Amino acid sequence: MITKGSEQVKKVKKVFGLLTATAMIAAMVGCGGSGGNNSASPSATASSSAAPEKLKKISIFQSKVEIAEQLEALAKKYTEETGNEVEVWGAAGDGYATQLQAKLTANEGPSIFSVATGAEAEKFKSYYYDLSNEPYVKDIAPNMALTIDGKVVGVPYGVEGFGLVYNKSLVDPKDVTDLASFTKTLEKFKAEGKNGLSLSQEAYFLIGHIINTPFALQPDPQAFIEKLNKGEVKMADTKEFQEFAKFMEAIKANTKNPLEVKYDTQMGDFATGKTAMVHQGNWSYAMLKDYGDLGFEIGMMPFPLAGNNKLAVGVASNWVINGKAGPDEIKAASAFLNWLFTSETGKNAIVNEFKFIPAMVNIEAKDLDPLSQAVYEATKSGQTIPWALNYFPQGIIVNDLAPATQEFFLNKNMTGEQFLQKLDAAWAKAAKQ
Amino acid sequence: MNTKKDIGWYVLFTMPLIFIFTTVVIIPFIIGIGYSFVSWDGIPANPKVFVGFDNYVQLFQDERFLQSAWHTIQFTVLALIVVNLAGLLLALLVTNGLRVSNAARTMFFMPNLIGGLILGYIWQFIFTDAFNSVGEKTGLKSIFFNWLLDPQFALIAMVIVFAWQMAGYTMVIYIAGIQSIPDEMMEAAKVDGANLWHRLTKIVFPLLMPSFTICLFLTLSGAFKIFDVNLSLTKGGPNNATEMFAMNIYNEIFAYSHYGIGQAKAIVFFLIVAVLTLTQVIITKKREVQM
Repeated sequence: MITKGSEQVKKVKKVFGLLTATAMIAAMVGCGGSGGNNSASPSATASSSAAPEKLKKISIFQSKVEIAEQLEALAKKYTEETGNEVEVWGAAGDGYATQLQAKLTANEGPSIFSVATGAEAEKFKSYYYDLSNEPYVKDIAPNMALTIDGKVVGVPYGVEGFGLVYNKSLVDPKDVTDLASFTKTLEKFKAEGKNGLSLSQEAYFLIGHIINTPFALQPDPQAFIEKLNKGEVKMADTKEFQEFAKFMEAIKANTKNPLEVKYDTQMGDFATGKTAMVHQGNWSYAMLKDYGDLGFEIGMMPFPLAGNNKLAVGVASNWVINGKAGPDEIKAASAFLNWLFTSETGKNAIVNEFKFIPAMVNIEAKDLDPLSQAVYEATKSGQTIPWALNYFPQGIIVNDLAPATQEFFLNKNMTGEQFLQKLDAAWAKAAKQ
Repeated sequence: MNTKKDIGWYVLFTMPLIFIFTTVVIIPFIIGIGYSFVSWDGIPANPKVFVGFDNYVQLFQDERFLQSAWHTIQFTVLALIVVNLAGLLLALLVTNGLRVSNAARTMFFMPNLIGGLILGYIWQFIFTDAFNSVGEKTGLKSIFFNWLLDPQFALIAMVIVFAWQMAGYTMVIYIAGIQSIPDEMMEAAKVDGANLWHRLTKIVFPLLMPSFTICLFLTLSGAFKIFDVNLSLTKGGPNNATEMFAMNIYNEIFAYSHYGIGQAKAIVFFLIVAVLTLTQVIITKKREVQM
């Protein structure tokens, strides 16, 4: 009995091993097959060649939650007008880059996707299709196209700008022109029981945008960031940052702890007049709109660091075409972008549905909301500072700068100077990696 | 006994599971070991550079990783105690012949049916908004403040949420254990004059050892691998003070795009969890007694 039993076990083990081996081989073959298949699958190509006048179905994946519904509606219109199909994959918000990477890596990438200017665009650069010869590229406003290695690879969504969004009935821009007047204004509101300025706990709204100003004020922000990456300069030794630290001290001393504030409470308190100023961009108007008539006018003014009198304006995101898609798909994708930027329906959607401030010379902006109007005017008159934060090492704002800032706002004894040292340390760590 | 036929059945029933287990667990695990020796950012077009054991050397110099290890240990120890104590107490409570015991059991078990992510968001609201307003109304601001903004209290907040979720589950296991203890034995002990404390320590606990083994194993590995509550409740904040092992690995891979180092961390993580849980199972197994 015993010998028989053990024999049985042995046999079972053998079969077990065989099975495992078979399964592994099967799976490996499967992996290898999909790994090697970089170009479009042959079946898809065949089906599209059967109907030559109709373009291949394309897919779009993009990061902005704000335009998700509008984009889907636009895709339907496109199908009505041209008969070509577009599939819009839901917007992913914060997890966008991760999801995009997963999709691209699995060779299930979308035909058209969005990338943020700067480090993110750099990261995915092996996927872009060269748009240099496409007709709509010539309409992109000067210096706004996304270029990699001298080739135009992306069309900007539009320009966006941020600064101090303020309640015109509470704040006079003349009272917020430098550190002293800024601090005085905050103290005044504190005495009145109002919140003078509100940041919020989200990494970009907490530190990412506001720290852009000292970077943008450097003579050559990109070169400065490179030096910072190499450790040749320190924020703590740079004049603009020292003043920035004083601004942050004033904010910490006189306003509600931003870690207690979320984006929606930040804008809600602003809309109801409890907060006089918020450091925000023109996109935040979408939140204010929900409150209907605010009962006061709003405006956007520059963050008055080191005499700065300009709004920070830049391109946040760009449309790119997946160069790893099949030729038919690329053709269809390009046709869609062409339609988006040249047809009346497309242009109208960009301005009136997406509420973007166009970065194309062939698109006229009218009836902008007050914040977008401020950004648009600043752009036209050239009164802008760049978005240096696009050139920060990838992920640094969320991963390294935000935790350091949290510490600054939580630790009551931490001075601005110590805060800068923390930021320097965080930067050194992030740049090394 | 027809052995061939038996093997046939054996294969038929185990094959699907083995196939799934191999393809989604074993093979990725082996491939993962391979990735831990390269430096790669996750973009297929970019080269994977073989770096040998560099990733492993590097992770032991990674202060944030070591800190997250320390947080995880603190969290696990606290969670282990709180979850099992609460589970055991609840089990003793509902097996005591209360009239509402069935309803109570259901209610205690309920939080376990809610996913960790949702629990995290619910408790986030409690710890931030509800605590703040309770503190303002009652004036007890030293207890009721935004716990998630304090590095120490944020960790405790996580323990509370985890215990809230797991206590009901361990309770069910303890109930099963308690119910398998024969009533005659308890009555005999009572007749012999054993008080409640004696009955608990001399009869109930030794006979509950198998339940302890299971519950400790579940909470130990569950607490060590925690990710969902971590993500939704604190996101590792404030200032990374509640970043646990799993989250550190996630951040290394997806936030910093260091697939190699992240994978090396994951392997180390696996070894630690395996060693810890095996040791625990062996120790508690030894203490199990037969009736």
